[in-house]
Amino acid sequence: MNLELEVFRNLFVSIAEEMGIVLRRTAFSPNIKERRDYSCAVYDAQGRTVAMGDHMPAHLGAMPASVKAVTDEFRPGPGEIYFLNDPFRGGTHLPDITTVSAVFQAGGSEPAFYLATRAHHADVGGMAPGSMPLASEIYQEGLRIPPVALVKEGEFDAALLSIILANVRTPDERLGDLGAQVAAHRVGERRLCEAVARHGQDRVAEQMAALQDYAERLMSARLAAVPDCEHTFSDWLDDDGFGSGPIEIRCRLSVRGCGATVDFRESAPQVRGGVNANRAVTTAAVMYCFRCLLGAEAPYNAGTLRPIRILTRPGSICDALLPASTAAGNVETSQRIVDAVLGALRGALPGQLPASSSGTMNNVSFGGSLPEQGRPFSYYETIAGGMGAWPGADGLSAVHTHMTNSLNTPTEALERGYPVRIRRYAVRRGSGGKGRHRGGDGVIREYEFLADATLSILSERRKSQPSGAEGGGSGARGRNLLNGEEIPAKGNFQIRRGDRLRIETPGGGGCFPEPGPGQSTRAGVTEDATSPDFEEMRAVD
Amino acid sequence: MRVGVDSGGTFTDFVAWDGSAVQSLKVRSTPAAPATAILQGLNRFSPREVVHGSTVATNALHEASGARTAFVGTRGFEDLLELARQNRAELYAWRPAPRKALVRPEDRHGLRERTLHDGSVLECLDEREVAALTAGLGDVESVAVCLLHSYANPAHERRLGRALRAAGYSVSLSCEILPEHREYERAATTVVNAYVSPVMRRYLRSLSESLPATRLRIFQSNGGSISASEASRQAVRTVLSGPAGGLVGATAIARRLGIKRFISFDMGGTSTDVSLYNGGPSITTERDAAGLPVRIPMLDIESVGAGGGSVAYYDEGAALRVGPRSAGADPGPVCYGVGEELTVTDANLLLDRIEAGSFTGSAIRLQAARTRDYAARAARVAGTGVEEFARAVVRAANSRMERAIRAVSVQRGHDPRDYALICFGGAGALHACELAESLQIRQVVVPAHAGVLSALGMLLADCVRDYSASVLGANVDDALHRLTVTAANDMRRQGFDEPDLIRTVDMRYGGQSYEISVPAERRDAFGEIHQRRYGYRHPGRDAEAVTARVRAVGRIPEKDRPELDSVAGASRFASVYVPNGWRCREAPGSHLILESAC
Repeated sequence: MNLELEVFRNLFVSIAEEMGIVLRRTAFSPNIKERRDYSCAVYDAQGRTVAMGDHMPAHLGAMPASVKAVTDEFRPGPGEIYFLNDPFRGGTHLPDITTVSAVFQAGGSEPAFYLATRAHHADVGGMAPGSMPLASEIYQEGLRIPPVALVKEGEFDAALLSIILANVRTPDERLGDLGAQVAAHRVGERRLCEAVARHGQDRVAEQMAALQDYAERLMSARLAAVPDCEHTFSDWLDDDGFGSGPIEIRCRLSVRGCGATVDFRESAPQVRGGVNANRAVTTAAVMYCFRCLLGAEAPYNAGTLRPIRILTRPGSICDALLPASTAAGNVETSQRIVDAVLGALRGALPGQLPASSSGTMNNVSFGGSLPEQGRPFSYYETIAGGMGAWPGADGLSAVHTHMTNSLNTPTEALERGYPVRIRRYAVRRGSGGKGRHRGGDGVIREYEFLADATLSILSERRKSQPSGAEGGGSGARGRNLLNGEEIPAKGNFQIRRGDRLRIETPGGGGCFPEPGPGQSTRAGVTEDATSPDFEEMRAVD
Repeated sequence: MRVGVDSGGTFTDFVAWDGSAVQSLKVRSTPAAPATAILQGLNRFSPREVVHGSTVATNALHEASGARTAFVGTRGFEDLLELARQNRAELYAWRPAPRKALVRPEDRHGLRERTLHDGSVLECLDEREVAALTAGLGDVESVAVCLLHSYANPAHERRLGRALRAAGYSVSLSCEILPEHREYERAATTVVNAYVSPVMRRYLRSLSESLPATRLRIFQSNGGSISASEASRQAVRTVLSGPAGGLVGATAIARRLGIKRFISFDMGGTSTDVSLYNGGPSITTERDAAGLPVRIPMLDIESVGAGGGSVAYYDEGAALRVGPRSAGADPGPVCYGVGEELTVTDANLLLDRIEAGSFTGSAIRLQAARTRDYAARAARVAGTGVEEFARAVVRAANSRMERAIRAVSVQRGHDPRDYALICFGGAGALHACELAESLQIRQVVVPAHAGVLSALGMLLADCVRDYSASVLGANVDDALHRLTVTAANDMRRQGFDEPDLIRTVDMRYGGQSYEISVPAERRDAFGEIHQRRYGYRHPGRDAEAVTARVRAVGRIPEKDRPELDSVAGASRFASVYVPNGWRCREAPGSHLILESAC
């Protein structure tokens, strides 16, 4: 029994949270400040996660790869902060810029701890404003930043910064956001040093390790309670935006004793359009799923993952290689990986898991020049959908699920800052799957553009539907309409002033067949399912 | 005679002042009909004025027992409250946490109209739609109106307000409740007001009828009082007012002792409330009630689910955990004789920090032997002794409370070492010194009136009203002037000819989304304040004003203020633990001052 863990856990988590508060409150991108698309975490001397704020699941499981990418190539010194966004060297997709620093104790020459922050910047250059375009290779998506020191001796590297800022549409905003990330490091470093001054370096390091062991014990105990089994489940992305057709994510789960193996090696090869996920994204999605098996109070750190082995095949949709485009891997494919893992887990824990949620973040980005000043603008947001029903409760409507938890931008803030008017923002009634417990409904969001703009949309579940669980009905597929005409789920579009865009997001799946006579439900995708028949699904919708 | 009344869940506390002496009284509460206990206690005093802290509004919200309320919004935005901010409360839970819906789906209405962010009108209200709405609301009692961009131009809301009031509805307009930008938060605050105000009105009407000769004032979450009629219209201002009374009481005692900066630490049975006072109370507009944002200015009080009754246990990962579950009063801690789970109170008993014979002024005789048996078993599991185990329980509880204190101090740019810790509540004085050590605080105060501090605070509360206006793209000085005139007029009507008018402006760097409240005359110091709070500033960027605020304070006359040193019968109702290295002395007025020797 460890009598001290609670004390140190509170200490480390509050450091990560305080870093997050500084970042959010001083950032400039709506993405970071309004939508809270950022994460902060504390790592031990080996770069293993100790504590994270309750921020974005998609970031938290993937950030250790950033710390590793930095320490593999460099020995970060005092006063230095590294940054990166390259999906093939520690990042996930280009808009997520991650900063990494080492914390030294007084007189120490080896790093005692590491800190990292990740924030989704509203623009990092590339072919379309918002840097979330439909692209066929990463070079079109934006500026690639390999691990490199952004701050040296406490100051921004002016030369490096000038290169970065010359390649983005809203340099002023980038500079402000990077400043906020740096400030978060400063506060994290200060707090860690205070902790060492109070408890001593050895005791702090010892308790960091104890916290990781504790998380491992909790996960092992949970897996031991799952009967040994092997289940395979496939789910499909609709398409890569370039006509690939359905893209399979195949998850083979085996649980043995107090460990589990999650094998994605039979998944589809990487594709041309940006739905390619790298291994860090896949890891984050798997970690999220298993973390949910534990209670709300369980810690979440490097130990959580120790009992779980993840297998991927380099060059596949779950472990893409250069020059794959990756904008949607982090935001769309990660959701489908969750659907696949949940499907497999459902076999292991029947009647205990929810139906599929909307399965897409409905990424909308647009930009151009402001009509009067000519100043460039760039904006990105995601739209919520329906939550899958749970065996015992209806799913929530209009809520972000699984790998994201970003907020909306208030209409009153959006209209003040950007040449767009929101015409409708409503719950999409009836879009949740039927069942004894209904899936949550999706969202309808209608934009009227007040200036010419370039629009990028990356969305999913426009052909397939989020499946129900235990015989519950599927959620409705989503739709994107421009001036009343349905447009592709993924693409870049030229917008004229006065155009209206309407996004209808998918509902969540239902749970258990709907009671009563004449019940009609669609089975979810089952273990032996072959590629789903999208035409038939469309007919039902 | 004036009386402060704090109506709590277990006890209703009274503190009375007749111009020469202070009396206090505790009466068992009658939760089903709180007025019963209040009237029973007030019978002893027959006061001229009562300042009443009521949980009626908070309870209506938590128990979902408010008035049937309709929501009227801009067409296309009827679902504003259901959409909320589209995020979920718990990150790693598949079981959906149900959302609070104060308005039924059939009671949401959208009107064709549109005001823009600069206040211009794109589409006018249609009078026929207004008439159809007022005729077709059905069986609702209260109506909340929140139209897009009404902070910039409230004309449409006011027009609707006139029509709905004429039709006999209780009406809450967002431009009156919270004229600030961000539609969801403004709408939620307005709906909360609409939902609880009718309940509050009925309660206060019945209470007033039972007290015909008494002037009734109501305590608010901003630490001041308002008239009963205002509280009936703006009951949202009383939501979460519970812990504010103790803070006002602590402020008076700090002033008496010459302490300018303190952190209040109110530790009860199930939760602990902390707040920071830096020459003035900390105010926040970011608190939530029952899962809904309530964005009116309130005292910035952080609550954490750790108290004397918090249960200690080993979890499945073999870690000792404390709380947030509480043993409550029933079955209570092991030492009460019935409970089976060890609590923080048990740990304090095991460490001889409380005496078995004198606990919370109650008749309960604590069972030390029973507690030791239970603790010995728990300690054995960890391979340690009873004392070490008990100390670990206290440390774990302290770590949660320390996190709350850090949240209101360090995270807001204040160094706790510059502050005294004023503790109250049943268990505060047992934990204060150790907490102070963790935070390097060197002075701890245990007020003489710890047991009735909240009721005392209500008796001391000034009349406080908050005014605000969004000034995005508008002239700040004009807005401040308008607010000042309105505030002065309102206060005059309340009988305060020379109120204090505190003017602040919420500012940020252009492009940020979070503001810092800056005194109106120190707007040019924004960069410096940003630096202090977040550790850096942007010398090249312009700051912008977002919200203008005026806080009007009508000071209660000196003769109505109780003399703190003459509080009779104000037993401390609390044990005090003084660790090694701390000195204890008694200050005038029987307050205890504990000081760290190191």
